[in-house]
Amino acid sequence: MTRLEATQAIVNACGDAAIVASLGHPAYDLFAAGDRPRNFYTWGSMGLASSIGLGIALARPAIHVIVLDGDGSLLMNLGSLATIGLLQPKNLTVVVMDNELYATTGGQPTPTATGADLAAAARAMRIEDATIVRTEDELIGRLRGTRPQFVVAKVAESPPTAKPPLDYVGIKQRFMAALG
Amino acid sequence: MNRAVPEWASGVCAGAHAAGILDVAYVPDNPLSHVLGEFERNYADVRLVLATREEEAFGIAAGLCLGGKRPAVMLQSSGLGNSINALTTLVIPYRIPMLIVVSMRGDEGEWNAAQTPMGEAVRPILDAIRIPHASVTDGTSAKRLVAEAAGFSFASGMPRAILLPRRLTTS
Repeated sequence: MTRLEATQAIVNACGDAAIVASLGHPAYDLFAAGDRPRNFYTWGSMGLASSIGLGIALARPAIHVIVLDGDGSLLMNLGSLATIGLLQPKNLTVVVMDNELYATTGGQPTPTATGADLAAAARAMRIEDATIVRTEDELIGRLRGTRPQFVVAKVAESPPTAKPPLDYVGIKQRFMAALG
Repeated sequence: MNRAVPEWASGVCAGAHAAGILDVAYVPDNPLSHVLGEFERNYADVRLVLATREEEAFGIAAGLCLGGKRPAVMLQSSGLGNSINALTTLVIPYRIPMLIVVSMRGDEGEWNAAQTPMGEAVRPILDAIRIPHASVTDGTSAKRLVAEAAGFSFASGMPRAILLPRRLTTS
């Protein structure tokens, strides 16, 4: 499964969930897979996608929030796992698109390429429903649970085919209007 | 331990609450413990969200704002250094309003010289990234200054900071 295929599967299955995408390739693929008002594309703040998603999930407990993070990005903010484990938001799903690369910056390997286990890290921080998936069916089956979900999707890198607009305020306003 | 709440701390809480702030993302700090304790004791409708690092607190606060809340971030000035990327690539370009309450280290009265370079840099840094800031210099004005800063922030769609100098918090 490529990252774009994984992203497409999530967009097809997520209903009216809010989706927050980490900057670079995860955001580009989300835009390519299906631009929708409930998508929030980050263009900076590497590492903070799961924190932004957590804030939305806390603010809006009736809305399912899905975060599309990268392995390199999450490694910048592993403390976020402890905070999610502490607060246990039932409506939050963090998907790590783990291509074992800093793909956006030229393909340098990340520590997951040599065995760093982000799902184990999440479990150690009290996110019990933390798994590694390799197929679209497994991924979709893990999108929603009765506790916060943490899914490491092992994906092949795929060249991005589109980018969201560099309209930061427009992205925000459309997203907030869509949440109501 | 039963500590009397300093006037400045109760003023910070009252001002933030009056501006509609019901969510506070924070990293602990000794003076801020007065503010956090006052929220816990007397503001049942305020949610305190502990973050592991200041940059993370800004990410959480940004998400709270996207979800329709009026958030605050409370941190020690040393943690502002951990937060510049979150502020300059998320909060400011996306115009995400929030009240930022900074408990100062490294200003007048500091005993630990390792804190002074950042303490002296806090105001120039905030000026450089164009986050307006005001300092609370006495307890009686705390509520008004905090409520004004938060009110301006949410009205303008941009963050604003309130600084709590050590002269205030350690007196």
